[in-house]
Amino acid sequence: MTRLAPRGEGFDPLSRRGFLVASAGAVATFGFARAIEAAMDPAAPHGVPATASGPRFDPTLWFSIDSDGMVTVNIIRAEMGQHVSSAMAQIVAEELEADWDKVRITHVDTDPKWGLMVTGGSWSVWQTFPIFSRAGAAGRMALIEAGAKLLGASPAACSARKGAVAAGGRSITYGEIVRRGALSRQYSADDLAKLPIKPVDQRNLIGKPVAALDIAAKTTGAAIYGIDAKVPGMVYARPKLPPTRNGSKVVSVDDSAARKVKGYLRCITLDDPSDTVPGWVMVIAESYPAAIRAADLVKVSWTAGPGAATSEKDIQDHAAGLIAKPEVGVLLNTGGGDTAAALKAAHTTVERTYTTSTVLHFQLEPLNALAFEKDGVFEIHTGNQWQSLIMPTLAKALGRPESGIVMRTYLLGGGFGRRLNGDYAVPAALAAKALGRPVQMILTRADDARFDSVRSPSVQTLRMGFDAAGKVTAMEHHAAAGWPTLVMAPGFMPKGQGGAPYDPFAISGADHWYEVGAQKVRAISNDLANSTFRPGWLRSVGPGWTNWALESFMDEAARRLSLDPVAFRLKLLNGAGRNAGSAPSAVGGALRQAEVVRRAANRAGWGQALPKDTGLGLATSFGQERDMPTWVACVARVRVDRATGVVTVEKLTNVTDAGAIIDPDGARAQTEGATLWGLSMTLHEGTAFENGQVKDTNLDTYMPLRIADTPDLDISFVDSTEPPVGLGEPATTVVAPAIGNAIFAAVGARLRHIPITPEAVRAALAGGAS
Amino acid sequence: MIKRGALILVAVLAVGLAGFAAFAWRPAIARIAPPAASSFSPQLVAQGEILAGAGYCATCHTAKGGKPFAGGYPMQTSFGTIYSSNITPDPETGVGAWSQAAFARAMRQGVAQNGSHLFPAFPYDHFNKLTDADIAALYAFIMTRPPVSAPPVRNRLPFPLNIRALQAGWKLLFFHPQPFAPNPARGAEWNRGAYLAEGLSHCGACHTPRNALGAERKDKAYAGAPIDNWVAPPLTRANPSPAPWTEDELFAYLRSGVARYHGVSAGPMAPVVHAGLSKLPDSDIHALATYFGEIGGGQAREADTGPVVEKALAADRLGTGLQYDAPARLYAAACASCHYNNAKGPNPLRPDLALNSAVNLDDPTNLIRVTLYGLDAKSGAPGIVMPGFARFSDADVARIAAYLRATRTTKAPWPDLEKKVAAIRAQGKGKE
Amino acid sequence: MTSFTINGRAVSVDVDDDTPLLWVIRDEIGLTGSKFGCGIGLCGACTVHVGGRATRSCVTPVSAVDGAQVTTIEGLDPADEHPVQQAWRALQVPQCGYCQSGQIMQAAALLKDFPSPTDEDIDAVMTGNLCRCMTYVRIRAAVKQAAQALANGAIPNLTAAKGAKA
Ligand code: FES
Ligand code: FES
Repeated sequence: MTRLAPRGEGFDPLSRRGFLVASAGAVATFGFARAIEAAMDPAAPHGVPATASGPRFDPTLWFSIDSDGMVTVNIIRAEMGQHVSSAMAQIVAEELEADWDKVRITHVDTDPKWGLMVTGGSWSVWQTFPIFSRAGAAGRMALIEAGAKLLGASPAACSARKGAVAAGGRSITYGEIVRRGALSRQYSADDLAKLPIKPVDQRNLIGKPVAALDIAAKTTGAAIYGIDAKVPGMVYARPKLPPTRNGSKVVSVDDSAARKVKGYLRCITLDDPSDTVPGWVMVIAESYPAAIRAADLVKVSWTAGPGAATSEKDIQDHAAGLIAKPEVGVLLNTGGGDTAAALKAAHTTVERTYTTSTVLHFQLEPLNALAFEKDGVFEIHTGNQWQSLIMPTLAKALGRPESGIVMRTYLLGGGFGRRLNGDYAVPAALAAKALGRPVQMILTRADDARFDSVRSPSVQTLRMGFDAAGKVTAMEHHAAAGWPTLVMAPGFMPKGQGGAPYDPFAISGADHWYEVGAQKVRAISNDLANSTFRPGWLRSVGPGWTNWALESFMDEAARRLSLDPVAFRLKLLNGAGRNAGSAPSAVGGALRQAEVVRRAANRAGWGQALPKDTGLGLATSFGQERDMPTWVACVARVRVDRATGVVTVEKLTNVTDAGAIIDPDGARAQTEGATLWGLSMTLHEGTAFENGQVKDTNLDTYMPLRIADTPDLDISFVDSTEPPVGLGEPATTVVAPAIGNAIFAAVGARLRHIPITPEAVRAALAGGAS
Repeated sequence: MIKRGALILVAVLAVGLAGFAAFAWRPAIARIAPPAASSFSPQLVAQGEILAGAGYCATCHTAKGGKPFAGGYPMQTSFGTIYSSNITPDPETGVGAWSQAAFARAMRQGVAQNGSHLFPAFPYDHFNKLTDADIAALYAFIMTRPPVSAPPVRNRLPFPLNIRALQAGWKLLFFHPQPFAPNPARGAEWNRGAYLAEGLSHCGACHTPRNALGAERKDKAYAGAPIDNWVAPPLTRANPSPAPWTEDELFAYLRSGVARYHGVSAGPMAPVVHAGLSKLPDSDIHALATYFGEIGGGQAREADTGPVVEKALAADRLGTGLQYDAPARLYAAACASCHYNNAKGPNPLRPDLALNSAVNLDDPTNLIRVTLYGLDAKSGAPGIVMPGFARFSDADVARIAAYLRATRTTKAPWPDLEKKVAAIRAQGKGKE
Repeated sequence: MTSFTINGRAVSVDVDDDTPLLWVIRDEIGLTGSKFGCGIGLCGACTVHVGGRATRSCVTPVSAVDGAQVTTIEGLDPADEHPVQQAWRALQVPQCGYCQSGQIMQAAALLKDFPSPTDEDIDAVMTGNLCRCMTYVRIRAAVKQAAQALANGAIPNLTAAKGAKA
């Protein structure tokens, strides 16, 4: 029998040695035997990066090669399932001519040298590609130079391939070159920018199937997530969440009942100078189950902040009221034109309003963070998507400069945007500071849901005008919702007309690539939403809901003029004017969007005869931003049961043009996931605010898509040599309108709210929704 | 097992006081020096061990975490809490000073060595059927256990129920000892089963309803009864399980705790199978199966099994593909990943819920208890567990129960399920 | 004190009887492959085997496994080469990976009951395992690939201890 030693017994919690947790005595073979270091390698057992062997060559910040020829690529992005670290390593390895079997990745800490650390918006590959390609090329050139010397050949006569430099019949491995210390070359950013990169047809890793580096450890239980972080002497915390997200104040705490819980230590009322978690009380215990049980027994009374009585309907009514006021909101620069006049002059106009419910992130790993002070530095161990955003907040909360704080990034058990907002790091840090001990805070699922930075509910009104010939002459898109960027990162807001800042993540998608004549796109911040909760960025951000309205509306407009919805779109995606596209990433513009529409329609058998109550619907989008478009189209095939209102999605056909695809299998995986997210948010997911809180907090009532709900997927990519753009999100945006349009095609019922429920379908069938 | 059923008395109301004291009085039987273990033949002791298993002596006479047979096990009755006594051969606190005659009197008449009346939580109303030979074997087994000094735990019974002499009145009304009489119209196996069931294994103690004074109602033998916050199902033709309780099913259930077409032993029945009957040879289990296969009519309905199982298999996948019905989704997510049948038929380790007794009983108690608190590795199918869904809301548990009842049976819906769940939650997990 | 076997090793733990098995495995025993997702038995991230059957450890009180045999993802196969694990890697099923220990444990149990599962079998049994990254298409394919491997003679070593690796 193995008796388990008490956690951390006999260790100085803050010594470096102490990080080798519980390696004492009988416990040694039972885990914890993992060093927590500055960085994480998701492919290595227990996440511990291997140490370099022998001398090391670091031609740039981004990777190094050791004397065994092992290439370690430094990753500043968060790994949350997009295999981004692997794709990034592929970019380096391609130019470096590395041997893929000798490539590994390290997720780095928040040392300022890494620059801005953010993972979101499907930007990672797009932003990294030019940098990492050139870093790899620089390494290759240096290795060839040095290898040539060692081989006694001229660099021009040498070539590099699979981790070795060869000349004539002789070759020398990268490891050998590094071991012989023949390298000293370093490249500045300017040097790098000038380096040429391989032409597309010479690539032998990018675009080829490779084994992603982070996957194996995820099949053995060895992968380490934030929730698995442990240090000796650590205690656990679960919060008592206040009645409102903002402005709650603790009046009193009664922990008398909790004192009976074995392992309960104490409650801490947080004093948070950063005002990130006002009104939080942390329940501290020796074990997490004890913290859960104790927190259930602790009674706290609060004075509530704003929104304590706010309902979903209040928020949506407020949004509709804002849309009705022409003076509020920010107009995007869409080339202008007087839409009011054009609509007035129009022969035919269409106006529709669309709404979406509050959506939870529900990333499977509940929020958590481990915090402690060591050697004068405050360490935060957690999975996070935007370290650079939360660091200043942590500094304010802890009352120390950012140089005294470091974040270590673990694997994320799902991000989907929730972990862009690092607010959960703050209470852990404050508790650790107050207690003078390492604190691992874990939220229960219900805590996580209540503390979520949800996707705001939204209201959108769209208008379109046609002349007598059926030509579109004007279009307006008004969108009101909570603004995550305003609340969390106002400095990142671009300026619209008149220099007014707006949240791109609460409007993008509405500034589409259709040629519509005069165009007005108005983004409206729903202040009631912003004060009731902290709006979040959620997978596919703005287009996740703006495109629901836009593409449902395009269908309605087409049908109003008795046009085929695909033909109608293709006519407007003509690549004229501002929709012609531009270098580097939007080359081809709307014509590329037209192409994915055509392909998707063809693959799905657009126009074919279908069984009764079955229909096809199409929707398209450009992903998120006009200067980084990912062209995507989806056709949904649905069957509607008229009696029950149940919609069965039989098949989703997705065609994507994301430029060159770095990792085809990873790209497919991302598109599969994004498509099914879209489906989940269309038919299964959605909650509502009740008294300032979301009403669904766990899987008994919040019911995301499960395997039995999963339809056939047909996913394909346009073969392209254009610069690679993002893939994690765009497919999400097209599913809801494709399904809504398909329902209309199947049974003539138009749905204008997601999630679509059977009751709503029945009501629409009965003529309840016009 | 009376242990938990045990209720009792108030006989005082019914009995004229005059002469009662005289009637109630029993003499002490002389104390003896504890007999040496060597004075019992090993065969006799071994036989006693089997019989002690069949009578679940250890189950009632061992407290949680306590020494075997040292007593102190609490039995909640509607009259108060009674603690079992120390039956190890410790002369001071146990039965070490009891002669075989004193032991036999206790077993058959419910009177202790010192002449005091035992509460009928001790099922002497069944044990009186035991043969002399079986009593001798049990005595040998008990007297060769390691003695444990464990003073009795005071019962928590209100006055006057705590007056042992008043038990005599109860006996006067309800206790009519009779040695076991074989039924000549039945075979030896049936009679062996009947002897065990009626006597030592005291099946009626749980499965027979009791009257207001806690005595088994002979007119309702094995008609099913509430027991320790569970329901002991009817063992008669009134048993609502869709598949017949054939001899094979009964044998499997009593032998292993698992009946493919009915479910697993849970609650108070779990130790009956796993701690008690497990000591009996297969022949005795067959005998019990024969007896109950006959009196419950299951054996005669054997041919029903096939069609019933087929119907259940057809219902098995209901709900697992449904997308919108909230209870169906709950079922699919929480239950269906375990309670599925395999490619060939019902999976005995994860009971098919259409066939399961708990889903078919008139009272949802057993289903709710198992849903809330699960089954540990020592109950049900040994070595595997069912998790407990106590973190579900009352409404969620009620929803699942109602859903199963509606989709897996043709029986009437259970009324007031949510309240019932709340009430069972308030009772707590209990001893099992 | 509850005693049981985990991945072939005997352990005794001294925690409250109703402590969920999941936390005992993760925090007392230190095997963190089993994950906490919902805590109420509805996501499957915490799935382990008890007596060879897939079991949600977050809602299993530790006392319930007294005397039982528990297997976690770390002990599924001594070399991490269970056919299910191999199929999962070959088809690159995991995205964030957080649900995948549970998916793999559930799939390994499923294949014992359905040696050649249909889509319906897979959907019925695997629906309790939520994958928030929605890797469902690959899960279906990988379960079938593993079934094929098993049919071709791959032998899962379901009870072996993990030995030094655990
Ligand atoms: S954590 Fe156990 S089922 Fe979700
Ligand atoms: S892989 Fe992320 S939850 Fe399944």
